[in-house]
Amino acid sequence: MHEPPTISLKERLLGDLRTGLRAGLVTFWELARVMVPAYGITLVLQYVGAIAWMARAARPLMSLLGLPGDAALPLVVGYVLNIYAAVGSMRALHLSAPQVIVLALAILIGHNLIVEGAVLQRSGMNAFAFGTLRVIAGLVAAALAHLFMGFF
Amino acid sequence: MMGQLLHTFLTGSFSLLLRVFLIVIPIMVVLEVFEGTPAFRRVVRGWAVIVRRVGLDERSAAPTLVGFLFGLAYGGGVIVRNIRRHDLPRRQVFIMCVFLSMVHAIVEDSLVFLALIPFSLMALFWIVVYRIAWAALVTLALTAVAGFVVRRARR
Repeated sequence: MHEPPTISLKERLLGDLRTGLRAGLVTFWELARVMVPAYGITLVLQYVGAIAWMARAARPLMSLLGLPGDAALPLVVGYVLNIYAAVGSMRALHLSAPQVIVLALAILIGHNLIVEGAVLQRSGMNAFAFGTLRVIAGLVAAALAHLFMGFF
Repeated sequence: MMGQLLHTFLTGSFSLLLRVFLIVIPIMVVLEVFEGTPAFRRVVRGWAVIVRRVGLDERSAAPTLVGFLFGLAYGGGVIVRNIRRHDLPRRQVFIMCVFLSMVHAIVEDSLVFLALIPFSLMALFWIVVYRIAWAALVTLALTAVAGFVVRRARR
């Protein structure tokens, strides 16, 4: 219907396949070249102890979310690394189901900030501004959830 | 110690790249092959009706759908591809990035946390429904603020 009659379906499909593969490879390269250096930065931050340091600084904030101070570690691990690492360090804590939900919300909204920030930067946005936005919006969403959960 | 760091970086980068490769290539091929078909247009138009509520038009529907389902990086990849092809307005890119930075990879990311606790509708509500509603609210609020700032700057 939308192809000229001179081109067969097979030819069109092969052409699309080729264009798709090329677009995929270009996108892969674009993502790779920003994600790999960003991943390197996250490892260095972890290596020099920045995650533990930030988690200690964030401890007092946790009471606003109804969480123990130890919950700052999975939160910061999520911010710098990713949700899998965050879940790994959450397992070591003994949190109730509502506490897991509140912490999960903060981490689901803000995580992998350096690698995903690099991708946002590639789309023309400011990675730092978006990182800050995600941390604040995540904490507010979690605090509101903590507040409202009591009513249900 | 330093060698351990390098080793982690190399193996970690490899699995990261492998994962991105295995997701990006199929997404791009599927987009290319099906973009013109009526079924694909129907899905995109249906999704466009939903995301219109946060100020996104039909051109932004496909990238947001990819990001919403698969993840921010993949949505970002499609955004960059579409910017190159048909010149997306910066306002649309901004709205997409705010929305996707609040909520993406809806199935995978939600399941990772839901798996930690016994299943309940309440948990599903907070993790999925509340998060999407919050994302929409933040997107609308920030778009209004950004629009105000841009108008002020132009005057």
